[in-house]
Amino acid sequence: MTLSALIFPIGDDHYAVAADTVREVVSEPRPTRLPTVPAVVLGAFNLRGEVVPMFDAGALLGVGPLVEGPFAIVVTTAMGPAGIVVAGLPRVVDLGEQLGPSDLRGTLGIYGIEGGVAVLVDVEALLLPYSNLDASAVTAAAEGRAAR
Amino acid sequence: MTLKGLDKLRMLFAQEAEQRLARLGQLVLELERRPLDDLGEAIAEIFREVHTLKGSAAVVGFEDIGRYAHGVEEKLGQLRSGSVLPTAPIVDALLVAVDRLGSMINESVAGADVDDGANAAALDALDVAFLVALAPASIPAVALAAAGAAEGPSPLPPPPLAPPVPRSDPSPAAALDPAADAVPATPAPAPVVAREAAGTVMVPVERLDELVRMVGEAAGANLRVGRVLTERLGVDAVDVLEFTELSRVLNDLQECAMRTRMVPVSTITDSLQRAVRDAARSLGKDVRWEVRGEDTELDREVLHKLSDSLLHLVRNAVDHGVDTPEERAIAGKPAQAVVRLHAMQLGSEVIIAITDDGGGVDLPRVRAQGARLGLDVDAMNDDEAMQLIFASGFSTATFVSDISGRGVGLDAVRSSVEAARGRVEVRSTPGLGGEFRVIVPITLAVLRCLLVEASGQRFALPLHRVDLAQAAATTSLLHAEGQPMIDVGGRPVPVSDLAEVLGVPSTRVGAGTFVVVTGAAGRAAFTVDALVGQRDVVVKGLSPLVPRLEVVAGTSIEPDGSILLVLDPPGLIERARRGGGRTARAVAAPVAARTRNGRLLVVDDALTVRELQRSILERAGFDVTVAGDGVEAMALLGAGEYELVLTDVEMPRMDGFALTEQIRAHPSLRNVAVLILTSLASDSDRLRGMEAGADGYIVKSAFDERGLLAAVDRLVGTTT
Repeated sequence: MTLSALIFPIGDDHYAVAADTVREVVSEPRPTRLPTVPAVVLGAFNLRGEVVPMFDAGALLGVGPLVEGPFAIVVTTAMGPAGIVVAGLPRVVDLGEQLGPSDLRGTLGIYGIEGGVAVLVDVEALLLPYSNLDASAVTAAAEGRAAR
Repeated sequence: MTLKGLDKLRMLFAQEAEQRLARLGQLVLELERRPLDDLGEAIAEIFREVHTLKGSAAVVGFEDIGRYAHGVEEKLGQLRSGSVLPTAPIVDALLVAVDRLGSMINESVAGADVDDGANAAALDALDVAFLVALAPASIPAVALAAAGAAEGPSPLPPPPLAPPVPRSDPSPAAALDPAADAVPATPAPAPVVAREAAGTVMVPVERLDELVRMVGEAAGANLRVGRVLTERLGVDAVDVLEFTELSRVLNDLQECAMRTRMVPVSTITDSLQRAVRDAARSLGKDVRWEVRGEDTELDREVLHKLSDSLLHLVRNAVDHGVDTPEERAIAGKPAQAVVRLHAMQLGSEVIIAITDDGGGVDLPRVRAQGARLGLDVDAMNDDEAMQLIFASGFSTATFVSDISGRGVGLDAVRSSVEAARGRVEVRSTPGLGGEFRVIVPITLAVLRCLLVEASGQRFALPLHRVDLAQAAATTSLLHAEGQPMIDVGGRPVPVSDLAEVLGVPSTRVGAGTFVVVTGAAGRAAFTVDALVGQRDVVVKGLSPLVPRLEVVAGTSIEPDGSILLVLDPPGLIERARRGGGRTARAVAAPVAARTRNGRLLVVDDALTVRELQRSILERAGFDVTVAGDGVEAMALLGAGEYELVLTDVEMPRMDGFALTEQIRAHPSLRNVAVLILTSLASDSDRLRGMEAGADGYIVKSAFDERGLLAAVDRLVGTTT
């Protein structure tokens, strides 16, 4: 079975996110900056009434910050939607064979694509270290579930 | 504390509790086997075991267990004093109580919700058993019906209409065998439905929240349509009848949606009345309870957040406010005191006043206590001194003790009121009574904010935190402790640049404006470029994917679709205080900024408490050794040098008071500081601690990392 993914460029390399986690692609995202956040958080933007945080895909992957990009991929995570700013228009492809493992944190392996290779990214795993999931949030979430 | 840390502590607690419960079970059974005149030791040990469990439970945050254990402890006090003999029904009830403690601990450690109904039932069974033992023949039915005294603050919604069996059934037959019917019949979760009147529908709150949110979105979208009309079509939207009509309907809809979340104050007055009656009964005071304005409505969430605070305030009114019958007679007041709750709506706020006709706040005593805590009380006027009763650490040290020592202090009342975006005020007339006013917004769904501009961006500051705003050009700057200050009502308030605190470049031209905001730790002024206006904003939390930002309280979507950041003044103040390495002001010195050294000895028979203290103090840089009781502590003190001993009171072999006395009596230990940390909170205990020679006293129920470190820092020299 082939995996459908969105391929996006950062520098000379290609990265991929699984298409079933992607909600939409936004062009010219203009995030409102948030004070005192780490550099990977570019801010938050309004997606039809929802406040969605926006992250720098390059900085998240540790391959160099982008700061600005013409597009943002909005992915769905267990903790709500997140936008990741990417350097070029993503395109949908079917990933080929997995060619090998990948070393970068939050990545799932190197896959063959038409005309090259792409590193498959697990966005949720990438974002987790920056999230607000400390003890109280987890407890509150658990209580919230219990209350329902 | 991290989740991992707390989990670890809770596991420790579970292990400790298992051993203590096993021992408790044996001890209770021993009560029946031993002759009556040989019970003192067993009862004392039972008391100590329950007491220690209570303290440990409180430390790991299992408040339900702590409360329950406290209820049991109160009963044990009667056994200990000899006013009640351990008859068979009492032993039965105690065993049930021990079992219940065990299952509560299992439930809590497993992360399940504790079954309040079962606790109440188990405590009721104890109550009844004790009442029957006290005076089996002469108890009128009323007294028995009122027996459910010791069951802790009732959670909202009010307790189920049908109470567990013993409370409504005063027949001794039912009471004598409480285990048989009252306890194991696990009561079903509070059947709220029973109270629903005809024509009422129960709706999950989330659905209402969703409704409110969507109506808000619709209203916002409507505003944007208006802009499109004006900008693209050149039509003034106000002139378009259809548009204004839609706006009006949406406004009404928004208000209706908000109203669905409102409940009247009367939903909690029953439990308050009960608290007043119970407190009055236990203190031997005659108190009448009056409620006015119980129809006043406010947001369910706000009321819920306030319920514990109101409970505390009414108990406080009966305990500390209302004077004794003798004092009342001398003052020529009617024998029956009055505690009154008066609720009223004023604009977009609700005021709930708890009034008593007692002696008022004992200001000299407050001042004396403030002085003991090292505050400069002479420089304070009466109003400022009065505010001390809300200061953190104040209640922990002395002054406000809950009538049963189980409650929260007034500082906790203040923080929970502030969590509901409100404020609490105190007024007092010596000899005539005191009043606590809790002032909260009607709803949390919208937040009234002051909009300011800094670094080219708009920010919202919650208006309930804003004291005043004034043009910087007309205000003269002072300098103190290496930082600029302004004079606000005769007090110096530190000034910081808002943009700088937020970590964004300042683009201000001109002097800007000072906005003075209030947080828990005091006031601070921030310079902004301009004031933009006031607005009610619908606040949304920030996504959990973003790290917690201490300076941001939430976000809101502006009518033009942009995102407005709602700032959190206490967080701003905290950050400003840390920023630039400025010296903090005396009252609220940040604990984290120091490096510490010094050898401490922690003495506590509860493993959980011991390890918690050790971890807090070691993280703070101290060298910590632990001991399980006074005897062990004395041995360690003889073998090494320590600067401070932190000790529990109730311990086997040698208790904390005795340990303190021994340390003081020992020539080479005379300079060792002693800090007593205990869950006993009565004035006489405190006095005994001081007489024994302790340097300080912390009550465990109000125990937190900051409080502990602050107290230790006061006694042990620190290097900065």
